[in-house]
Amino acid sequence: MSIINAILDLGAVVMLPILIFILSMIFGEKPGRALRAGVTIGIGFIGINLVIGLLSSNLGPAAEALVKNAGLQLDVIDVGWPAASAIAFASRVGALVIPIGLAVNIIMLLTRTTKTVNVDLWNYWHFAFTGALVTAATGNLTLGMIAAAINCAIVLKLGDWTAPIVQEFYGLPGISLPHGFSAAYVPIAIPLNKLFDKIPGLNKIEINPETASKRFGVLGEPTIVGLIIGIIIGLLARYDIKDALNLGMSMAGVMFLMPRMVKILMEGLIPVSEAAKKFMQKRFAGTEFYIGLDSAVATGHPSAIATALILVPITIVLAVIVPGNRVLPFGDLATIPFMVAMVAPICRGNVFRSVIIGALVIAVGLLIATNVAPLHTQAAIDAAFQFPEGATSISSICDGANPLTWILLKIMQLFG
Amino acid sequence: MNKKKIVIACGTGIATSTVVADKIENLCKREGIDALITQCKVSELDAYIHGADLIVTTTVLGKKSDVPVINGLPFITGIGEEEVLKQIAEELKK
Repeated sequence: MSIINAILDLGAVVMLPILIFILSMIFGEKPGRALRAGVTIGIGFIGINLVIGLLSSNLGPAAEALVKNAGLQLDVIDVGWPAASAIAFASRVGALVIPIGLAVNIIMLLTRTTKTVNVDLWNYWHFAFTGALVTAATGNLTLGMIAAAINCAIVLKLGDWTAPIVQEFYGLPGISLPHGFSAAYVPIAIPLNKLFDKIPGLNKIEINPETASKRFGVLGEPTIVGLIIGIIIGLLARYDIKDALNLGMSMAGVMFLMPRMVKILMEGLIPVSEAAKKFMQKRFAGTEFYIGLDSAVATGHPSAIATALILVPITIVLAVIVPGNRVLPFGDLATIPFMVAMVAPICRGNVFRSVIIGALVIAVGLLIATNVAPLHTQAAIDAAFQFPEGATSISSICDGANPLTWILLKIMQLFG
Repeated sequence: MNKKKIVIACGTGIATSTVVADKIENLCKREGIDALITQCKVSELDAYIHGADLIVTTTVLGKKSDVPVINGLPFITGIGEEEVLKQIAEELKK
């Protein structure tokens, strides 16, 4: 235990390469490849740190000016899931989340409490994120690990529950989507969809995904969204044209560069996740099991894309009008497809219903994200991410606005 | 042989497409295929599709395209991976 603690104390940039190296070796990787995987992950963190710096040093002052000059109380920056995932993996819980997640899954498979073999190791970061918030709130690593394990178990059950409808709607036989973010909206979407069936008039409305996609198409390109939002925020904050254009370009840069940095992180994780995938499949393959995948496989569906595109402007408007919200939506405007990936099949592809449900969960989600902002910021600092002077406050929609994460956090705080 | 342009599209342009890119890169090295691999989001596909020889996607592709499309889902599930690799190699050698 003291060795583990010593490694955890080294800081994310050193700790994760060592842990990934050890994990890769355990899974039978050659030392050379294992070393490369570990170093690659460390480089990913360095890269993300640089881009977070670019984001908060540009958008931070703009958000302050927005408060001062436009009277908009939006001083918490939405850093987006790429940063949130890095914060999660760099946390103490994140360092241990791969063995924890695999153990929970294996125990549940052996006890027949789940049918999902979750081979999507990357998205274990959602569980780590919950754990990191709990640890940041309570100062207790064990509680954080328990929260991550519970999160993992709940999401496996949600994956099982929705597997038949997801398989049919997306034409993906034999799979389920035990995704920490997408699945969290299932228990909300199912009753709301039933409610829609009962309301006369509303139950007849349908929106065609094709026309919506055409009209909102450019919103599917994050760099353009970054550019436009940067310029608008600049103008609202009473920047002159030159500074507003510069802010726009910086934000386009963040939108473009942040995912590239996460890609480096992912590359480093490939040897471990491939080995774990093979291990899980060898033991649990067969017709009676679902293969649990990233809900990214569903986000290309026209009705998921259309819903997400329409929700981008709605999210920004909601941020301004929802009382009590302080989150300035930015990084996760590109993540909305994941929020609706499992809502769309529940609504049978009806874009109108998905948009209404999406707007509701975003409105509440913004308040949740505002509420967890101090812990989110703390978790980032704990993970050795650097913030410019003046201590910008950060949050995210994925998973800062995740209702399941929030409920688990509140429950675990009772014990902390 | 000409340089082949392969576009890999997934929901994020990062997550599942990185896994697929890694495998196709290894395939191309093995088979001696000179390839340029780009990753993107499905919603950005229009911006990347120009001049492409092959699209590999891990998600549902809503629209039709003139470029051949191969479903890369087997790389993610691990089931039928060999068949898809063969299919891709054949398509690139055309």
